[in-house]
Amino acid sequence: MDKKIDRRSFLKFLGIAGAASAAAVLSKDILSEKKDVVSKAEAKENGQQHEVKPGELDSYYGFWSGGHSGEVRVLGIPSMRELKRIPVFNIDVGTGWGITNESKKLLRGRYVGDTHHVHGSYKNGTYDGKYLFVNDKANNRVARIRIDYMEVDAIVDVPNIQGMHGLFPQRHPKTEWIVTNGEFQVPVPNDPKKPPKEYYGVHAIIDAERMSVVCQVLVEENLDLAATDYKGKYSMATSYNAEQGITVSEMLAWDNDYLLVFNWERIKDALKKGNYKVINGVKVIDGRRGRSDIVLRIPVPKNPHGVNVSPDGKYAVCSGKVAPVCTVVDLDKVDLAFAGKIKPEECIVAQPEIGLGPLHTTFDGRGNAITSVFIDSTNVKWSLERAVKGDKKPIIDVLDVHYQVGHIMASMAETKEADGKWLVSLNKFSKDRFLNVGPLKNECEQLVDISGEKMKLVHEGATYIEPHDCIIVRRDIIERNVKDRVDMFEHPLAVTKSGVERKGNHVIVKLTANAPVYGLQEVRVKKGEKVTVIVTNNDEISDLAHGFCLSDYNINFVVAPFQTKSVTFVANKPGVFWAYCTNFCHALHLEMRMRFIVEA
Amino acid sequence: MKKIVVVIFLILLPINTSGDQWKFFEHRYSYKLEDVLDADKFVKKKGYWEGYKKGQLVGYVFISKDWTEKLVGFSGKHMETLVGLDVKGNITGVKLLFHSEPIVLIGLREENYQRFLKQYPGKSIMQPLSVGKEISMDAITGATVTAVVQNAIILGSARKVASEAGLIKAERKVEKKLSQRYQSFTWEDLLKIGAVKNIRVSSKDLGIEGAEPYLDLYFGLLNPPSIGKNLLGESLYKDVVSSLKDEETALFIVARGSGSFKGSGFARGGVFDRFNLEQGNRVYVFRDKDYRILTELKAQGSPQIKEGGIFIIRDTEFNPAEEFKFNLLLPFRPTVAKKEFRSFSTYYRLPEDFIE
Repeated sequence: MDKKIDRRSFLKFLGIAGAASAAAVLSKDILSEKKDVVSKAEAKENGQQHEVKPGELDSYYGFWSGGHSGEVRVLGIPSMRELKRIPVFNIDVGTGWGITNESKKLLRGRYVGDTHHVHGSYKNGTYDGKYLFVNDKANNRVARIRIDYMEVDAIVDVPNIQGMHGLFPQRHPKTEWIVTNGEFQVPVPNDPKKPPKEYYGVHAIIDAERMSVVCQVLVEENLDLAATDYKGKYSMATSYNAEQGITVSEMLAWDNDYLLVFNWERIKDALKKGNYKVINGVKVIDGRRGRSDIVLRIPVPKNPHGVNVSPDGKYAVCSGKVAPVCTVVDLDKVDLAFAGKIKPEECIVAQPEIGLGPLHTTFDGRGNAITSVFIDSTNVKWSLERAVKGDKKPIIDVLDVHYQVGHIMASMAETKEADGKWLVSLNKFSKDRFLNVGPLKNECEQLVDISGEKMKLVHEGATYIEPHDCIIVRRDIIERNVKDRVDMFEHPLAVTKSGVERKGNHVIVKLTANAPVYGLQEVRVKKGEKVTVIVTNNDEISDLAHGFCLSDYNINFVVAPFQTKSVTFVANKPGVFWAYCTNFCHALHLEMRMRFIVEA
Repeated sequence: MKKIVVVIFLILLPINTSGDQWKFFEHRYSYKLEDVLDADKFVKKKGYWEGYKKGQLVGYVFISKDWTEKLVGFSGKHMETLVGLDVKGNITGVKLLFHSEPIVLIGLREENYQRFLKQYPGKSIMQPLSVGKEISMDAITGATVTAVVQNAIILGSARKVASEAGLIKAERKVEKKLSQRYQSFTWEDLLKIGAVKNIRVSSKDLGIEGAEPYLDLYFGLLNPPSIGKNLLGESLYKDVVSSLKDEETALFIVARGSGSFKGSGFARGGVFDRFNLEQGNRVYVFRDKDYRILTELKAQGSPQIKEGGIFIIRDTEFNPAEEFKFNLLLPFRPTVAKKEFRSFSTYYRLPEDFIE
């Protein structure tokens, strides 16, 4: 394999080259693809069984970001079946997320979202199954999903930050903090008169339980991917624009950018001593070069992307993106560098050549790293130990993937319990892998069996816009926490007796939903009145959800058993309007309806 | 708290709250005690009446709701039943007082339900009485949940009343201390010592074509670590045991074959209509909230299973240290267009070693 950086490939990667050159690169991949797909029989013989038959359950939960669909998805692995979509920053007309009063209170009028990184809450270096956290790169928010219901329960706005991309929770001793990174440098506070040299990147720390911003560290660099260590001492971020450039060429100017390491002890110390400025209500600590001992800058080639920490907690691996190398940083040496005993660059213990366009690294728990390589369109398995011992090409296996992989993630790989069973390769293009669906095609996600020496491609599926990253969590960790609602009154307005209440111009309609009837058969309001409808599903049977759709009033939502949701609207159209159950509930589901009569 | 605040500040204008939208689903009937027992005088006791004829005690009358209110049917509601018993424990009459079973959905009428109940007079509660055997489902074919729960209601209440009235021996209250000792057992071991019991139904027995067996079912109690930990593995066992409240008991059922013990009744009505337990005077029926899926067994030599579940016996009257009966009501199709039921029962008693 040619390890030299291919100039044309880079240009294509950056989206600068024309369509012709892209097609040329891809045709090579098409020719080499077929042999990688093993038949079911073969998989049984020389690997793990990846087929999940009807009635069987998956052995892992996968939690996927949804990119600019704004949602989070839950998949079963190895079947790759989609089990649930969790609306987060988007409007979901199915469940009513973004339509109900409860969800509007969290979303505050913003329905565009861009979720990149979903991570779980941790205890002692592994998932505790309590929460998921996800970033919104578009509107700079962090959402928390409670795993017991798999629903969003909190959203925090993060000021002073733009392009909030990387997110990672504290891994040890448990998740009290989450860190997020600002990829787009901006003036802080955001003053349009400031020149680009006064645009900054921000590393934000968020309290995971209270879902509020603890503080921010301001640096010159932009910050994209994030990681935390396994000791509760450091968080990390890669920067591809240490140049503070505002054009692609300016961002590519330097041969080295940085891995930035943030020292949590010193952050806490700065907060205690009051070494911060309050900007937009948030404590901002100055972490700029030469002004702070909080940030360690380890030079990394070139425009690096991912940073991932090995399950034994020893190494942070950064990927070069436009350099064909991964940079291995020894986290014990980071202690020495912060103590001033060694230089930052002396924390680097290996820099093996991996392939063209290395992006993200995951781990099999047996001492191997697997790196996604974008331009080569491969997953590359290599030995960390051999790399640290000085092997410049410690490669064990290379697997073609289809096409142009972004993130990859192995089962439990972001925990100390990495088990090396499955890997998901989130490829950015599907091209010819599926039946043609017109110019806008789905992405292609491929499942790889990594239990043996060689990686085996066993499954692929088309995926709608546009997951960036995922985590793969052992079933038992999640399963024991997922439950049905047992307390109807966790919503203070839960309705057990239907009725209509009036307060001046405001009509409050309280409705029970029991298959197959709503608690009222008709409601009369006057044109122009403000109406709040509160619906509680009084059915206790698992999985018996009801919908509430008000015809011609642009309202629909779903209530799960014992759940309460409400909507408020102005009855501005006179007439007879049927409200009906949209979520199949009963043999007489179609008969489950009632009239809203809006009197002129 | 918030709810109260809302009520205080608003003018309460309830309209149309009762409604008649449930008319088709709720059936209430008036009754006299004489409807189910031929007597000229009734004396109120605690939870039942004694019936006298010409000064002679001839039997007992009770309303099921006073005894087995927790047993609810497809509708999620108890089927309130008036039952008469003679002094020997024979049922003298049964009358439905209230139900909202949606039998209309499967094309049945109220008369079908009444006809189903007509089977009970003359039957003895001292004898086994299970749906599919002594009690036929013909009148309400398809309403398995209703039939199974209705039977449990009649039988369970009657046996309780009979015990209360001294007609049958009151159940001894036995300490139900289970051993917490752990010993490693293989699947074969657990079968041999009777910690796991088997019901095997062959297609041939049912007179149908198809692969053998039709259903190969295994069940057992999980609480003793020597059973539960071996079968479920350390992590799931710990999880299940820690989820048990008070003195709840966990049961596992697994099966292979083309038949199914789970069926689909629980998906609609929440009730598992193909199996229940009987112990002493009580019948234990399971709902979806008592269930979690079980997909594999960990004991060495365990068979591959097609379906399985862990079922929690919520009623703490259940005594895991005592014998109980496992009833299976299995539907099958002799021809594509014909559905029949066959019932099977097996006794289960925990091995002595697992009881302290």
